[in-house]
Amino acid sequence: MPKEPIRILLADDDEDDRLFFKEAFDEIKLNTSVSLVNDGVELMNYLTMDGNQLPHILFLDLNMPRKTGIDCLLEIKQLAHLKDIAIVIYSTSASDIDIEETFVQGANVYIKKPSEFSSLKKILEQVITINWQYQTSGLDRDNYMLSL
Amino acid sequence: MHVKPIFKSAFFLKSVFVLSIFMLLYISSISYKHTKSLNESSDLLVHSYKIQFQLEHVLSMLKDAEAGHRGYIITRNDVFLKPYKSVQDKIYNSYIRLKALTLQDQQQQANLDILLQLIYQRIDLISMSLKGISDRAITEKQLAENLLAGNNVMDRIRIQINKMEDLENSNFKDHQRKYEREVVFSPVSILIFAVFSLLVFILSFIKINNDLQFFKKSNKELLITNESIKQAEIIGEFFTTQQNMSNRELIYSHNLYRLLSCEIHSFVPNLDNYLTFVHPDDRHIVVKEASDAALLGRIDRNFYRIIRKDGELRYFMSLGKFISDHKSKMYIGIVKDITDQHLNNVALEERNHELEQSIKELESFNRVASHDLQEPLRKIQTFISRISEDDKVSLSDKGEEYISKIASSAHKMRILIDDLLLFSRTNKAEKIFEKTDLNLLLGNANQELAPDIEEKNGIIQSSQLPVMNVIAFQIQQLFVNLIGNALKYSKPGVSPLIIIDCEKLAGKNLPVFITDKRKEYYRISISDNGIGFEQEYSEKIFILFNRLHQKFDYAGTGIGLSICKKIAENHNGYIIAEGQSGIGATFSVFLPK
Repeated sequence: MPKEPIRILLADDDEDDRLFFKEAFDEIKLNTSVSLVNDGVELMNYLTMDGNQLPHILFLDLNMPRKTGIDCLLEIKQLAHLKDIAIVIYSTSASDIDIEETFVQGANVYIKKPSEFSSLKKILEQVITINWQYQTSGLDRDNYMLSL
Repeated sequence: MHVKPIFKSAFFLKSVFVLSIFMLLYISSISYKHTKSLNESSDLLVHSYKIQFQLEHVLSMLKDAEAGHRGYIITRNDVFLKPYKSVQDKIYNSYIRLKALTLQDQQQQANLDILLQLIYQRIDLISMSLKGISDRAITEKQLAENLLAGNNVMDRIRIQINKMEDLENSNFKDHQRKYEREVVFSPVSILIFAVFSLLVFILSFIKINNDLQFFKKSNKELLITNESIKQAEIIGEFFTTQQNMSNRELIYSHNLYRLLSCEIHSFVPNLDNYLTFVHPDDRHIVVKEASDAALLGRIDRNFYRIIRKDGELRYFMSLGKFISDHKSKMYIGIVKDITDQHLNNVALEERNHELEQSIKELESFNRVASHDLQEPLRKIQTFISRISEDDKVSLSDKGEEYISKIASSAHKMRILIDDLLLFSRTNKAEKIFEKTDLNLLLGNANQELAPDIEEKNGIIQSSQLPVMNVIAFQIQQLFVNLIGNALKYSKPGVSPLIIIDCEKLAGKNLPVFITDKRKEYYRISISDNGIGFEQEYSEKIFILFNRLHQKFDYAGTGIGLSICKKIAENHNGYIIAEGQSGIGATFSVFLPK
């Protein structure tokens, strides 16, 4: 019996980025199922709607219209049934302020969107294969920012 | 101010005057006494002469009577009896006078009574003989006896008179002796006192004269000081207030009127009148200031607005202090027109605000220029990487070349944006100084540059670096940039040799551009054997986007050295470049110890 796929959800308003993300997972030889939402509001609707299976890992863009990634992060950590989802911040910027704030608010990993498709594949593969037990319990500031 | 000598002088003068007055009183009393004694002496002398004169007069009258008596006996002529007839009355008159003259002298009175009895005896004898002659009942023998007895009485009278005269003389002499005894010191002492008084007066005069000169001088100085304070008040646009804390008397200096653009003395300078010029919203400040000073003895610096007589709004500042001597406490205040200063400050604040605004705009521009540009650039690069992986095969050679040129341009743009971000971060990042081992930072930098060093076959020689208080990540960036620079501008075909050296400099060993010679500096130099540069460009290379070399010869954004300069400045240090074209370059960083 095949193992249950890792459910992955990406919230990103940028169509191209969603495309790269999807294509990268298509090429990664791992058992994953990727869902996409277009912004923060859609994300929160998706997560709170009955019947939707909750993702194992949520990739969250920060800079989104209507509801930003930080807003979503805050809301998710407020809701009892959502607060245990592993959250990966997936952002263009890697400013100290953003890194600090998302870490404090309980995100688990921070990755900066790479500019090479091969790098994207590599870093996403790294995220999926992380020992999540360790990453979620440790809250290790030094390992928070993930880079190749 | 020489207050004390004046007080001393006043005390001295007072003492001298009291002393002089006492001496004058003494001299006067002595003189008075002398004059009085002298008068007494002369009175006594006159008195004594009067008594002697009367006694002689009595004796001479008696003799006249006796002589007349004898003449009558011889001639029996009545003419000779004339003196005898009046002698009794005359002698009695003299007796009365003598009695009055010797009223104070018991002994002399007794003598006088004895004398009178003797005189009466003598007169009785004369009258007995005259009666015998007229009655013819007297014998020659009886007459002779009568005359003899008369002669005896007369002798006794003379003796008595001499006795009285002697007594008078001795009385006078006693008095004279007593007087001489009393006055024997007086003329000398009077002279001494007079001379002494004269000296004291001369000294006093000199002293008073000196004091007068001193007061004149002080007065002149005071006038000059007053005038200079007055002028200072005009120039400095302030006036002074004085308040005696015991009687609450408040004095304002004249510049008050000028600062309120009023005629001098156009109103009574008191708090109530002053308040009419204070801006209604600020009156409570001035009232509180006055009451705080009076009740609490506290002075704060206060600011308030004034509406001058000509209607102009001015800004005043007041401050003061208490001074006290042993008698009273005084509040001395100055009130200054700070309108110009205030307006300058306001203008400065506005400018500051504008500057802050423009910095904010610059920051947001920087954010847009670097951060937001990254997003589309990343897409371009990602798409290129997608093409190059999937569709390379179906592309023509030209297409493939164009794709690679697009990729190279996009890469350069990424480096430029990254450097710009780094530069702005160096500008505004929090400056946290920590004690850091620079050897460690250099090690980190070398590690970061390891691929480049390996690629160029570079050799890095470094001497021992100090432990310093620095912003660690910036110093590391400084090493990365300078060593990276040395690697980048190495001579083609020559292995770059980079020497990192460090020395401590102080005082006159410091280069001229470091003006504060009191501090010690570390000079950290990074020398290379690269292509170098002409010395004339040594300043220019630190300016943002200034590149000396052709874009295509050497990769670079022209930001790296600007970042180095910024980092040196953040550490209150300096960076200089020395170069020789074709031989190499040395970058020296001076950091204060």
